[in-house]
Amino acid sequence: MGSTALVQFVPGCGRTTSTTGRGKITFGSYADPAQNVLKEVFLPEFEKKTGIETEWVEADFSSWFQKAVNDGQTQAGAFDIYVLDDLWMPRFAGAGYLANLEELGFHPDTDFVESALDLGYWPPKTGPRQPGIDPKARPTLFGLPLIGDVQLLFYRNDVYASGPPATWDDVLRMARERSDPTKRQYGWVTRGVKGNPVVNSYFVLLHAFGGQMFEGDWKVAFNSPAAIEALEFYLRLLDYAPPGVAEFDSDQEGQTMLQGNAFAATMWTGWCGQVDDPNKSKVAGRISFSVPPKKVKQVAKLGLFMTGIAASAPNKQGALEFFNWFHSSAVQTQFARAGGTPCKVSAFKDEDSCRKSRWLPETLKALSIGLPSPRTADWYKIEDILGTALNQTLIEKGNAKRRLDAAASEATAFLKNAGYSAG
Amino acid sequence: MKESHPTIMSGPPGTPGPAPGWSDGEVNTSADSLALIEGEGGQAPPQRPEVAPTRRRRVPLILLALLAPTALFALALTILPLGYAVVTSFRSFRFGQPVAFIGLQNYFDLFRDSNFYRSLGTTLTFTIVATTVEFILGMMLALLLKEEFRWQGLIRSCLMIPMVVAPVVVGIVWRLLYSSDVGLLSYGVQLMMGHPISVLSNPSLALPAIILVDIWEWTPFMFLILLAGIQSLPQEPFEAARVDGAGPWSTFRYLTLPMLRPVIVVAVLIRALDAFTVFDQVFVLTQGGPGMATEVSTLMVYKTAFRFSQFGYAAAMAVTLLILVLFLSAAISRSLQGQVRQV
Repeated sequence: MGSTALVQFVPGCGRTTSTTGRGKITFGSYADPAQNVLKEVFLPEFEKKTGIETEWVEADFSSWFQKAVNDGQTQAGAFDIYVLDDLWMPRFAGAGYLANLEELGFHPDTDFVESALDLGYWPPKTGPRQPGIDPKARPTLFGLPLIGDVQLLFYRNDVYASGPPATWDDVLRMARERSDPTKRQYGWVTRGVKGNPVVNSYFVLLHAFGGQMFEGDWKVAFNSPAAIEALEFYLRLLDYAPPGVAEFDSDQEGQTMLQGNAFAATMWTGWCGQVDDPNKSKVAGRISFSVPPKKVKQVAKLGLFMTGIAASAPNKQGALEFFNWFHSSAVQTQFARAGGTPCKVSAFKDEDSCRKSRWLPETLKALSIGLPSPRTADWYKIEDILGTALNQTLIEKGNAKRRLDAAASEATAFLKNAGYSAG
Repeated sequence: MKESHPTIMSGPPGTPGPAPGWSDGEVNTSADSLALIEGEGGQAPPQRPEVAPTRRRRVPLILLALLAPTALFALALTILPLGYAVVTSFRSFRFGQPVAFIGLQNYFDLFRDSNFYRSLGTTLTFTIVATTVEFILGMMLALLLKEEFRWQGLIRSCLMIPMVVAPVVVGIVWRLLYSSDVGLLSYGVQLMMGHPISVLSNPSLALPAIILVDIWEWTPFMFLILLAGIQSLPQEPFEAARVDGAGPWSTFRYLTLPMLRPVIVVAVLIRALDAFTVFDQVFVLTQGGPGMATEVSTLMVYKTAFRFSQFGYAAAMAVTLLILVLFLSAAISRSLQGQVRQV
């Protein structure tokens, strides 16, 4: 790994003096295997090319969020580059924890996947703006995509022999025909645990059925007729899911697919690299990928790993140099060839990359039709309210309308109290 | 101090009770006061009440100077953060930054928040059930293992194991046991009943499941304190009871339990306060789910502060919980004092 230091999170261990004279940049991140290629191959390569040392400091997802917020609030300068979930961008950019990339001199080219790059702007380029944000303020670039993560439909190509299901009804029909709980064979698996996991699972169905989270100026819409229909359809799929999916998170969902116990699921691209590894998958070579099916429209859920330069970064120029290098189309292509999920269109279309990582073409399609979570720093609270209602509906296997209406009332009250017009 | 200067409390020779001019229970420990009492054959001089207060004024100054560093340290570590939390609870936040002073609005919102009451109810249920069961089991184990026997040390050591495992690790182990797809419990139920069981996604079972984890982990603590208490009891009353023909239950009911009361109250107080602030097991096992079934107050505070970045509202919750805990501990402490007087 060259001189790159990979350390577990120890507060205060961030800054040491560079021995090369070109300085050092410290990354702070949550731990995720999707970043292994970056850490193990590309950071050493960057050091070799530029003489800038790198240090990678990581913690689990929740801990890293808190530590990054603390660093941003106190402007401690323990990190140069934050790795962020795309959900966190409003919070970090809105609070001034991130440096303005345009002012630093970064100008994105047109090769970026547009939907992925848009997540780095604050205020958001489209959609309503949360209270306290000037409606006329120009969207400014504060972050860049790092890993082009998006939800794909993972399906068993031996079950869906004639190709991926085109519609959600096809998924339900196949589940009905082929599920056999006595042999632990299920037509569908999902994440049902309350909060972010179940909301992400539902998100794709909600939009596919023509629903949305909010209408106009933050009017809650996840209890619209389309939204209720989507949730009732979700419940019908649940009849063909393993028992206990209401407690399933991403790891259990993924393992159910890899163990060959389910025929289909919408999962993050981070799982793609494991499906052909016989050491990890009992159905190696028998899982394929496609953009999620449609009902009235076809939608994928974006869940990108973003990066931003800390406003308090001691080495902003070094961090900018990394951004310029890593986000060049040439390096992005190398990244894709090494197994990473890039964020540049040319890298997705590179033939070598697509041969090695057969999910890349579908990933690009999914990114292009992908939708992010609503762009507000208060989304976590709404997600918690909705996630609790969805989880309860899954457990009760019914009461979709009642639960969604109650959640919508609670969310509306919260939003109004926080200064949103909320319809 | 009282034991080391018995003459201070005595009046003139042959006169029981405090010396004239001294209020009951008041002790002057200065050397000069001792000399005055002892040098005059125990006759209290009429000026003494005026001398003593002058001396008293000097001693606290020295004491204060000596205590000041510790007091300042304690102030910085406890009172200031608490004060900051109270001030924070009067503010509203956006993007994690305070934007306005809103007075008691967070408290008004909190008292209208049905989720807060629900989480408080869950927390109290957890605290009462877990502490009660842990006490009963701890007492039974302590009574069983108080006598000397072979392998006693080994058995006691084994009983201590759950207590020394980190709560997060305990949570992960039990999550695997409870898991509906690969869990041992679910597998056992499937063998016996033909279908698996989903413990953590069942609103009726999730909270009992977490309580069971707490009981597994903290019964040894209760056992340890009660065993130490039992072993420190004087043996004479038990021997007398045996001579008088008292049975095991009578001995326990009328001797062990009353004599052990101060220890019991301390043990219950510590466990109740600890259970009231349970977090790790819930966080690892259920994240407060399914639905709101295991959403305890500390988890709600954590999410409000660190996920939703509503620091003002979270501070209002924390301050309210602190007041409730203070009431709880004051009630138990008062009970303790009462019991000690009785004993």
